[in-house]
Amino acid sequence: MVGVLRPMIRMKLAIMRHSTGGTRGTLMATGAALGLLLAAGTIWLATLRPDHPAALGDVLAVAFALWTLGWVLGPLSGGGAPVLRVGHFALLPISRLRLAIGLLGASLVAVTTAITLLAFAGLVVYAARLGLGPAVVALPAVLLQLSFVILLSRVAVGVFGEIAKSRLGGVLAGVMQGAMMVVAQSGWMVIVALDQFQILKTGFPPEVSAVLRTLPSSWGLVAVDAASRSDWPLAAGALAGLALVVVFLLMAWSRLLRLSRTARVVIRGSGGGATEGRTSTRPFLPSGGTAAVVLKELRAWWRDPARWSLFCVAPAWALITSLLPLAFGETALLPWAAPAAALMAAALYVNAWGHDGTALWLTLLTPGAERRDVRGRQLAWLAVFTPTTVLMAALLVPLSGQGWTWPWVLALLPALLGGGAGLAAWVGVTQLVPGPDPHRNRDNPLEGGESTAAQGLLVFFAGLLPVVPAAAVVRAGTLQGNDLLLWGGMPISVVTGALCAWLLGRFAYRHLEAHEPEMLHMMLSGGIVQAATEEAEPSVLDTMSRRRQAALFVGVWLGSIALFPQGLVPLGIKLSGGDDPVWFLALYLPPSGSGRQSPPWS
Amino acid sequence: MMSTGQVGIAPPLGRGSPALEISGLRKAFGDNVAVDDVDLTVYQGSFFGLVGPNGAGKTTALSMAVGLLRPDSGSSRIFGVDVWAEPVRAKALMGVLPDGLAMPERLTGRELLTFLGALRGMDRDTVAHRTGELLNVMELTGAERTLVIDYSTGMRKKIGLATALLHGPRLLVLDEPFEAVDPVSAATLKGILKRFVASGGSVVLSSHVMALVEQLCDTVAVMDGGKVVAAGTLEEVRGGRSLEETFVSLVGAPAGRKEGLSWLAS
Repeated sequence: MVGVLRPMIRMKLAIMRHSTGGTRGTLMATGAALGLLLAAGTIWLATLRPDHPAALGDVLAVAFALWTLGWVLGPLSGGGAPVLRVGHFALLPISRLRLAIGLLGASLVAVTTAITLLAFAGLVVYAARLGLGPAVVALPAVLLQLSFVILLSRVAVGVFGEIAKSRLGGVLAGVMQGAMMVVAQSGWMVIVALDQFQILKTGFPPEVSAVLRTLPSSWGLVAVDAASRSDWPLAAGALAGLALVVVFLLMAWSRLLRLSRTARVVIRGSGGGATEGRTSTRPFLPSGGTAAVVLKELRAWWRDPARWSLFCVAPAWALITSLLPLAFGETALLPWAAPAAALMAAALYVNAWGHDGTALWLTLLTPGAERRDVRGRQLAWLAVFTPTTVLMAALLVPLSGQGWTWPWVLALLPALLGGGAGLAAWVGVTQLVPGPDPHRNRDNPLEGGESTAAQGLLVFFAGLLPVVPAAAVVRAGTLQGNDLLLWGGMPISVVTGALCAWLLGRFAYRHLEAHEPEMLHMMLSGGIVQAATEEAEPSVLDTMSRRRQAALFVGVWLGSIALFPQGLVPLGIKLSGGDDPVWFLALYLPPSGSGRQSPPWS
Repeated sequence: MMSTGQVGIAPPLGRGSPALEISGLRKAFGDNVAVDDVDLTVYQGSFFGLVGPNGAGKTTALSMAVGLLRPDSGSSRIFGVDVWAEPVRAKALMGVLPDGLAMPERLTGRELLTFLGALRGMDRDTVAHRTGELLNVMELTGAERTLVIDYSTGMRKKIGLATALLHGPRLLVLDEPFEAVDPVSAATLKGILKRFVASGGSVVLSSHVMALVEQLCDTVAVMDGGKVVAAGTLEEVRGGRSLEETFVSLVGAPAGRKEGLSWLAS
């Protein structure tokens, strides 16, 4: 097996050497720093001394489950495609199992793996506090756990890649991605639960604790706990079980490595000669070229499984987020699902041009096509998401029984949709992330492409700004009991939204007109900055990547605030018994049971 | 007579003004100068072949000539209109087929042509008529409901050529138009291009298939290492030999052709 491993690891290092640079390097460094903080946080959790002896194990189990989820979610949301791909080795006469082992070995050589190993070292810290025996058990447990998360991540990509080839599969993948985003952002919900159930004093409810421990990501913990009770059969059993899962995943992955196991679902277009002379425009669309782009885009939304997936993520995310509190009988979030879906839909549509790859040449060589291209995409996006979000609002606001939210929802939606259509176009053009061309990637829709997470976060936060004028008017109306102001938010929101879409769209096509050749070149070269170009005189590309760097920094910074301090730190504060909520949103939540009758800001 | 470097080509008898005029084009990627001070003139009604080994800079030169890639220096004119100063006017005058680029992949061939016609602001009936004819000629009507993403490489070439022809340009710039196209389709395409030139249109194509260039083109330029090493009429450039022999002598046979790979023969 060493025979396969060494060349693969060398190949991976060589590829990484050539592709680490410029934006990618910056992103990697920022991500690594963030990951190190999270890993340190996990180890720190293992050093806490909660009131209830079982609580610490439970909290660590949650932390490990979140790490596992991160490994599954990361590659699915478009980031961190593996450096070594199966296609590289398709023609080599080696068995798939050996290939899988080789790829697994090579994937151990990675920054992400090192950081995860560090986080999982929390288990060793935890075990060392329990005694020598548990500590000895923890060492193999950590290695098995690491193999488990890596393999699970690979298998998830493989399975999702297979199902995402059809439109139904695309829907499924989209809903799953939305659901996983909910779990990943739900760190603060754990805090609410901690607060509500006094977990630090009593531990998790036994059922929750039991369920947590059925997850393979907790089996290392189970083994350590068993060892501390000198329950050696259970310790050995848990380790063996984890090893078995690893072997099973390895087998599953090696099966998935067979290229194109299932035939791709061929989606057909509109038919034949009978349609000759049929009008390409629809009466409700604007005339000419823009209408043609709208029609082209709507056809893509209808025919491309990846678009179905993209379409589903935001509504699924918003629905699940707002429906989850129903488990506690809480309906407060329901009315806001529609505006949230609109915002997230824009944040996920940030790389429209990147996804179409080098097809940009057609826009570039068609005189005056830039404006039509931008406007057409904006209109098509609005045509897809306006009915969706309006329908969500029409269903969910009455369902929540909170009629007072209508002026708010109506004042939020148009500004979010219009602002989103403007921002997504503008960021999509100025912060282009090159991906592989669709026709080169058609059998593996999930593989390839850099992460657009930073751009998405940028749109997500900036997308809140267009709401401000309308929201201020509605707030004034609420304060003064003035119906005119209360309902005046909606027309203001429509105007703000339209203005944002128009203005930012204008910026977008102006930028497109000026920088198209550079964008095309960037997509042709895959955005890889070669070492040789560093001494060269600064080109427009360098300027662009610096802008992108700035955007990345802002995005990653905002994202890290949203995810790390707002998620994990409050957990720590709660665990260490602090009461001061400082600036952590989650700690300001009222204890549940005191059902809110009116919004906290009125 | 063989002209080299920046020497222009005298307009052949009976030919009009230049359809494409490239002067001093240069592009460097880091330390690698892909195209080094290239001048070329393509006269109206001429069939121009750009040949060169892999990596000679053909695609880079043509990309800069049509406005797909911004040159470090130099200019390109289409019927006297500067591509980089007046892009909108220049782009209306030419049809381009780049090599291996993506297209709106979720459209059928007919939908793609209809879309591009509308995007160019062409009259709806004209677009429908031409689309039908182009699909017929390219033998793509059998794949009426197939999306472009499911096209074979040869079919992609053909639909790409159809997009270049749709608006009836007087200059065609084609990068490797016959690569991966089967011989039967290639014969059809050659027929179309010959008729286009016979009716006064101009074609620039790049290729590394010498026989094809010899068969089609009346004017030839040879590129190597980012420079034009020879340019002129076909007869001038090949000087009584075959184009392939001339090409190899110009570009230089690779060293070690006879040595090496002995294990393969044993």
